[in-house]
Amino acid sequence: MTSAMLLLIVLFFGLMMLGAPVAFAIGISGFSFFAISAVMPASIGVQQVASASQSFPLLAVPFFVLAGHMMNKTGITKRLIRCSEVLVSWMAGGMAQVCIVLSTLMGGVSGSAVADAAMEARILGPDLIRNGYSKGFTCATIAVCSLITATIPPSLGLILYGFVGGVSIGKLFLAGIVPGLLMMAALMFTVWLISRKRGYRSATAERPTWRAMRVAINDAKWALLFPVALLVAIRGGLFTPSEVGAFAVVYAVVVGVLLHRELTWKAAMDALLEGAIDNGLIVLIIMFSGMVGYAIIFEQAPQAIASAMLGLSHNPLVMLGMIVVFLLIAGCFVEATVLVLLLTPIFLPIVRQLGVDEVHFGIIMMTMVTFGGMTPPVGVAMFTVCGLLDCSVDDYLVEALPLIATVLALVAALILFPGLSLFLPNLLM
Amino acid sequence: MPGMILRLEATIARVLLATMVGLVFFAGVLRWFGLPLVWAMDVAQLLFVWTSFLGADMAMRKRSLIAVDLFVRWLPPRWRAPIDLVTGCVILAFLVAMGVLGYDLVTLNLEREFGDSGISYGFVTAAVPVGCGMLAITLAGQIWQTARSLFAEPRLVFSDPRSGEEPSL
Repeated sequence: MTSAMLLLIVLFFGLMMLGAPVAFAIGISGFSFFAISAVMPASIGVQQVASASQSFPLLAVPFFVLAGHMMNKTGITKRLIRCSEVLVSWMAGGMAQVCIVLSTLMGGVSGSAVADAAMEARILGPDLIRNGYSKGFTCATIAVCSLITATIPPSLGLILYGFVGGVSIGKLFLAGIVPGLLMMAALMFTVWLISRKRGYRSATAERPTWRAMRVAINDAKWALLFPVALLVAIRGGLFTPSEVGAFAVVYAVVVGVLLHRELTWKAAMDALLEGAIDNGLIVLIIMFSGMVGYAIIFEQAPQAIASAMLGLSHNPLVMLGMIVVFLLIAGCFVEATVLVLLLTPIFLPIVRQLGVDEVHFGIIMMTMVTFGGMTPPVGVAMFTVCGLLDCSVDDYLVEALPLIATVLALVAALILFPGLSLFLPNLLM
Repeated sequence: MPGMILRLEATIARVLLATMVGLVFFAGVLRWFGLPLVWAMDVAQLLFVWTSFLGADMAMRKRSLIAVDLFVRWLPPRWRAPIDLVTGCVILAFLVAMGVLGYDLVTLNLEREFGDSGISYGFVTAAVPVGCGMLAITLAGQIWQTARSLFAEPRLVFSDPRSGEEPSL
């Protein structure tokens, strides 16, 4: 490793540990490479920042972020909550089950696990605690289950992975559906076991009638139809993910104004502002990471890491296992966006060489990277939920362990059976 | 006066984002009818880089840029504020450097055309120095606030413990 690379790594981790915003930690460490380089003028670094933003698929990020905020202002969230309550609140641990189903349904509307977790913690969390669910269990359920949001399309993480790795975003979206639904089922089962043992009940102990279910689903149909419409639009190959993102925003406005009649001018303006701010803090990281990305390629780091890892094993399963463990550990310390931006160009060529499908790998990688947000010590989703519901990290961790084990078991199943994620894209695309 | 500038910034960000949606939406619809609208994509990308810097500046002002405060989380503000001041100054230097270097680059890039639209690539590159300049001004203000409150009741540079932490993504 050259000294320039060493300085880059030290600066990156040093600044992050001191609490500097991730965007600047990655920007300064990348800039240092250009600043001390004898051959590379520093203005090339600035050029990298500008050109990192000039990619058409990347436009999907602001559009889906905005679509999520816009949907929230159209009364869709309220309808999805009611729908989930009717469907599953009669089960053991009913209120916790509602959180899980809601994460899945919200996954089809918003692409961000943290936003979903924050919304549930604010709206559903206090109810659960009031009804005797322990604080740790409530926070763990909400935070870990928001992981489902990250695999159900549209998913911001999958868009970023597709953007960095040059993988079809439409295929990635399709591939996320089955793993997302499986994750919902597996987590519901674990929560059901725990709740039955502890006697967590819910107010409505009776199963809903078919009629009640039909009414609730009908009421939420525009939200439930959204991911379907999205996939039809991308699958046909007629539209690019960025265009579909723009359609999603228009869809949200049409539903809000014409169908639900709940979207006001002021709410739409709020959504635009929130969308612009959220997009800014994501894209700032992406733009500043352009310099580190250039430095990594220039120093041929992917080749070095690839040959080191391929020296350990040539078995695809062993390799995927090693990457998953690495991402689990790295995800505990580094923020998800950064991991995707920096590690995709390193890992993707390795697994490709071993014959692992890039779409299949994307689902596994994104699940693990997002999962880092649910585990201590650095979990954005965890801190958000625990902060909102005033829960200690220790209580959270104890209660989250069975759920974490469930997720890891599911990831193992996804690795062993690529068909689980590849079945839909192979069938439809 | 500063209030007006902030409102202007928020309004511009909204208008740019809405315009991006409109451009890409109509270009998509027209392309479906066999009428590709190449310039619309180029303009949308140009607006994207500006919108992103404006959004980042507003996020910074709200002190809600994503940060990992694993090691400084448990420090009392009395200790954390001086650390924040030092990292803040390092970041400020970085932003100023980006601004100055970016300015030189823009003058070089003015000739280069971008996409097929005939728009100068300088308009894209210019977002970097202008954006970094805005971030620098915001950060300088926040560093000043922290420095002034250092010996009384220190205020942190990068996070605001008074508002509930809630980063996005």
